[in-house]
Amino acid sequence: MNLLVALTLAVPAAGLSDATNDSDYLDDIKPILQSRCFACHGALKQESGLRLDTASSILKGGDSGPAIVAGKSADSLLIEAVTGDLADWRMPPEGEALSREQIESLKKWIAAGAPHPKHEEPEHDPRQHWAFQQPQRHATPNVQKTEWGRNDVDNFVAAMHEQHGLTPVPGAPKHILLRRIYIDLIGLPPSRAQLHEFLADDSADAYEKVVDRLLASPAYGERWGRHWMDVWRYSDWYGRRVRGELRNSQRHIWRWRDWIVESLNADKGYDRMVIEMLAGDEFAPDDPDTLRATGYLARNYNRTRNRWIEDTVEFTTASFLGLTFRCTRCHDHKYDPFTQKDYYSLRAIFDPYNVRTDQLPGQPDILQDGLPRVYDSNLSIVTYLLPTGDPQRPDKTLPMDPGVPALLGNESFHVEPVALPAQAYYPGLQPHIQEMELTRLRTALRQVRVELDNLASNAESATRTLAEKRVEAAAAALRSLRARIIADRERFQVAHSTRTEQSQLEAMQAENELIRLQTELQFLEAKHELDDIQAKTTNGQNAAAVAAATKKLSAAEKALKEINANDSQSKSTYSTIGSKYPAQSTGRRLAFARWLVHRDNPLAARVAVNHMWMRHFGRPLVESVADFGRNGKQPINQPLLDTLAVQFMESGWKMKTIHRAMVTSQTYRMQSAAVSKDHPNRKLDQQNRYFWRMNPKQMEAEVVRDSLLHIAGRLDPEMAGADLEPKDGESLPRRSIYFRHAADGQMTFLEVFDVANPNSCYRRHERTVPHQALAMVNSNLTHALSEELAKKTSVENDSDFIERAFETILCRSSSSKEHEACLRFLSREVAAQTDDSTIKTAPSLRARQSLIHVLMNHNDFVTIH
Amino acid sequence: MTNIPRGLPELKSHNGGFERRRFLSQMSSGFTGLVLGSMLHRDGLASANSSDTWAPPTGQSHFPAKAKSVIWLFMIGGVSQMESFDPKPALDKYAGLSIEETPHANVLTSPLVTETLESGFGRALMNKILPLQVPYRRRGESGIEISDWFPHIGDCVDDVAFIRSMWTTDNNHGAQYQFHTGRNKVQGLFPSLGSWVHYGLGSLNESLPQYVVLGQELGDCCGGIDAHGAAYLGSQHAGVQISDDPRNPIPYIRRNSRDSLRRQQSEFALLNELNRIATNDFSDNPAIQARIAAYELAFRMQKSLPEAVDISAETKHVRNLYGVDDKTAGVFGKQCLVARRLVERGTRFVQIFHGSTDGAGQWDAHNDLKPKYDRICQEVDQPIGGLLKDLKQRGLLDETLVVFVTEFGRTPGVQGARKGRDHHPYGFSVWMAGGGVKGGITHGATDELGFHAIENRHYVTDIHATILHQLGLDSRLLEVPGQKRLEIDHGHVIHDILA
Repeated sequence: MNLLVALTLAVPAAGLSDATNDSDYLDDIKPILQSRCFACHGALKQESGLRLDTASSILKGGDSGPAIVAGKSADSLLIEAVTGDLADWRMPPEGEALSREQIESLKKWIAAGAPHPKHEEPEHDPRQHWAFQQPQRHATPNVQKTEWGRNDVDNFVAAMHEQHGLTPVPGAPKHILLRRIYIDLIGLPPSRAQLHEFLADDSADAYEKVVDRLLASPAYGERWGRHWMDVWRYSDWYGRRVRGELRNSQRHIWRWRDWIVESLNADKGYDRMVIEMLAGDEFAPDDPDTLRATGYLARNYNRTRNRWIEDTVEFTTASFLGLTFRCTRCHDHKYDPFTQKDYYSLRAIFDPYNVRTDQLPGQPDILQDGLPRVYDSNLSIVTYLLPTGDPQRPDKTLPMDPGVPALLGNESFHVEPVALPAQAYYPGLQPHIQEMELTRLRTALRQVRVELDNLASNAESATRTLAEKRVEAAAAALRSLRARIIADRERFQVAHSTRTEQSQLEAMQAENELIRLQTELQFLEAKHELDDIQAKTTNGQNAAAVAAATKKLSAAEKALKEINANDSQSKSTYSTIGSKYPAQSTGRRLAFARWLVHRDNPLAARVAVNHMWMRHFGRPLVESVADFGRNGKQPINQPLLDTLAVQFMESGWKMKTIHRAMVTSQTYRMQSAAVSKDHPNRKLDQQNRYFWRMNPKQMEAEVVRDSLLHIAGRLDPEMAGADLEPKDGESLPRRSIYFRHAADGQMTFLEVFDVANPNSCYRRHERTVPHQALAMVNSNLTHALSEELAKKTSVENDSDFIERAFETILCRSSSSKEHEACLRFLSREVAAQTDDSTIKTAPSLRARQSLIHVLMNHNDFVTIH
Repeated sequence: MTNIPRGLPELKSHNGGFERRRFLSQMSSGFTGLVLGSMLHRDGLASANSSDTWAPPTGQSHFPAKAKSVIWLFMIGGVSQMESFDPKPALDKYAGLSIEETPHANVLTSPLVTETLESGFGRALMNKILPLQVPYRRRGESGIEISDWFPHIGDCVDDVAFIRSMWTTDNNHGAQYQFHTGRNKVQGLFPSLGSWVHYGLGSLNESLPQYVVLGQELGDCCGGIDAHGAAYLGSQHAGVQISDDPRNPIPYIRRNSRDSLRRQQSEFALLNELNRIATNDFSDNPAIQARIAAYELAFRMQKSLPEAVDISAETKHVRNLYGVDDKTAGVFGKQCLVARRLVERGTRFVQIFHGSTDGAGQWDAHNDLKPKYDRICQEVDQPIGGLLKDLKQRGLLDETLVVFVTEFGRTPGVQGARKGRDHHPYGFSVWMAGGGVKGGITHGATDELGFHAIENRHYVTDIHATILHQLGLDSRLLEVPGQKRLEIDHGHVIHDILA
């Protein structure tokens, strides 16, 4: 070292107090400033022109002069501010004051002359945050061990290994790999036959063939559909069902679930899926299959409108963009360069939307079935900024246009109103709805006709008159409907002609005639009711009922008089068939969705790819899966993440392409099993942050249940349909995804295994608690399935039975130690049971049931190695 | 091994790899000499950590403990401090005036107003004074004033230390989560106090969960199950939710009708044997250690837990003490009685929630405070008073720390036309009793209006620190490498209230 440099470096330490040097600044001072001051005095904001993110900017100071005077802590503004000596204010303005120790550290550092490193990087411009830049495909890194990798994913991972001095562990044994990929891609373990077939297949692409087959299986959509349902927070409707009260989500939302499963199986592009979910009603307004996708937004329904829209903004930005916008309701973002205005511009995208349930062919009652979907109901709504987040107190001087944060690139965001086809905004034009209405009225007419025909010949004339009037009115109702259908057709679907006005006039007249007849009928009904009561009444009993009926009659009489006296009451237009909605949609959501999946959006592809990586590898590349902002975590390997994101977009956002890239990598095929205690990797990366081995995973709730049913040969492959009752979960062998999933009731068996919270779940809890053990030991499900599987596995000898059981349940053979323990167990059990005459099952079979039951409880069953 | 296992000691005999017996023998100096400890998960954690110097907790306290167990009573929604334990006659005096019109207008301009909050901004401070909705009277020999809504707790004031100077940083109900973890909800997931206790201390009864949660959990809005979660400590340290129904205290606890006890034990023995054989292959997967421990506990709990929550053998006198048969107090009374039975049997930490609505909680009286509190105070007062009296008469109060807590207080000013009070994080009251805490004292104070905590101010982690201290734990010695804790997480022990 040059003598001069050595002297210069030595000066602060030698010339000043005992222990203060550069590292004190970096270790003690900077962290305090970073956690408490940078938000307002750093790169994000520079309140009072002051930045505190480098020592030189601290010395330079802001509008009030230097923040510190080196060597003189008592004269330093910074110390005055944090000690609250400046009369009415104290820094930081929010939260607790700095602790005495922290203030002492600051003082000591200033007193020591504020020593600091020469070249200190200022805090990066938040706009330069990695996740806000468009992802680029990275060149394949050069690695030394070229023979290890199989594909591009591996090259990035190998470079990371080499950088950290890690040696990847060997590939997993074939049987473990097979079970891993089966459960990963279809949520079910392989059968014995599939195991043997794979073990016997020596071809080089044996594994790739399995991957292709599994990706083509409809069970893939069920497995990965459930994953995306977590991210998109699928929930069946919620509320007090007995009362029919709807608090959250929508009835029949399962149609959206079916859309998810179908879309994944069809490998529909993720971009297209996002567009359909956020704006299917604007993108394909007359396609009911696509409209199912808008269940994503319909699910956010909440009785409180403000909460509904808040949730929509918060969860949409988190799910698709990995951004936290919740806090920006009330103030600018504390970490990310997003403003409160950005939030309300996003909110304006969603403010017009609402939910409705469309009738489906053959089912007029939308409580029984229907299609929940969204549409824009309030085209003229103005979104105001809510300074405190309180909807009661908008700032009416700040109306917000729909928009997206400029920082993320808003060139591709263009709002164009969408003119809807007539059948989309007026469902009553759809033939199936007209047909349903006609059927309903025809049935009604038929019924009153039968009643009239069945009237005894000596029936009172009043009764007959009433019955005749009912027929007249029912016939008029049918005539009126027919006229309305014709008029609608002329008006909405046929080129304008003279028939148009004429048909409308006829529809109007038919309806007026109907109203007149209905009024007459009501009068007769009321009169009949009163006569009836009076006839049954003696001695002034039922006075209240008589009074009520009398009142009703006089009202009906009044209505009748009015209609006879006054033609002006008649309607000047005819009624629609059911509801009619706005003929336009704002196009805001479509613009937003297209922007979201535009090639220039820096976040959408990365966030999706990260979710997929986490589910394949047990750990994401960006640990904070729903926060890619500055408060989130850095990617563990950004070149890998970005390259996958680009590959995803360039493949047409095909998920199966990405699945294939991930699961055919050597990274995925590594063993998860332990390496020896003194393996160097343990010291370097015990947590396996850099993927030098596979992470063992615990089966998710649904996989536990579905796999139990599957190995016992009981799983019902039927797909789709209305949500099933959770209480039937242990007897109905359908896949778990089809059971009701809502905050007010889930299947207990699944809850015990930490099934997703329906209100938000970007990542499942992975817990091991006694409840799970009890469910596996004591449930009817495991007992019934053990019995079935034991019966099914009909081999003579215990050794063979044990092998079959191991292969079926654990997808492996037993070790000799295990095998012996099981043999001992079987003979012990048979011996123990021979005395018990109350048990009808043969002792040997019952012992075998026990063995199966034990293996279902084995750690290797719920663990995916 | 013999053919038929007879419970745990035998099962433990083949876990040689974990050196548990040696461990246990070292730990015979515990509270009762009965420290059993589920050591397996500690080994799992130990191997999962890279630091050479760090060692997991031994299960022994760091210094002599004053208390053995904790009963944590959490009132969901925010209990009004001025209608419970912090009398403010000034509110009657200035009723109807705005705060500016009183001599205490400075509370509104105090820097504490802006300094305190981290979230839940933007609520008005409810300017117009609402008089006290209930009278106070002096109780016990100490003569501490308690509102008439808590006569039974009033009977016990000479055993209670009231802390009247709490503050917190969330002005919305995320403060519920915050009271359990010390962290504002927006900051993410952190271990709850109960999980730290579970993590730090050995078990007193290996047949019962050591951290139990009774009552309906918090709403998801406000923390949900994370308020009794263990975050990075690992799920084996999370609170175990149970119901007080002895037929079904937790799902699937009843042995399946197809099974006999003998058969179940036999299966269990094989399962253990197989899992331990497999452990050799996958020994650095901490999940398998947790799973073995979970099965052991589950198996033993089948017998012990239904018995522990079954109050049918309790005398009429005891039932009456807790109000178990009372229409209003019965639900909470039963939970308090079960809590006593659990700590008596060695559960370390019992957390009881009162007032869950799956939302903000019943104590959240934005309107109609009087009629609401008339009812809900009755729901808890007799049960809590009964619990204190019962623990005392059994000599258990000395070693059991009973804590009454809530997420924040309520505004001195009225909210709305229907005489309610809004959230108030600037000053509120909690109390502690037993477990080496002084009785018959008050500590800290709010200003004349009950607005700001002004004397001996305490953040929620000071309560945590005090509890851990009484249990003989130093939270700094419990830190997990790689999981940074802040200064404020550790809190400060409130020595003034300790005997």
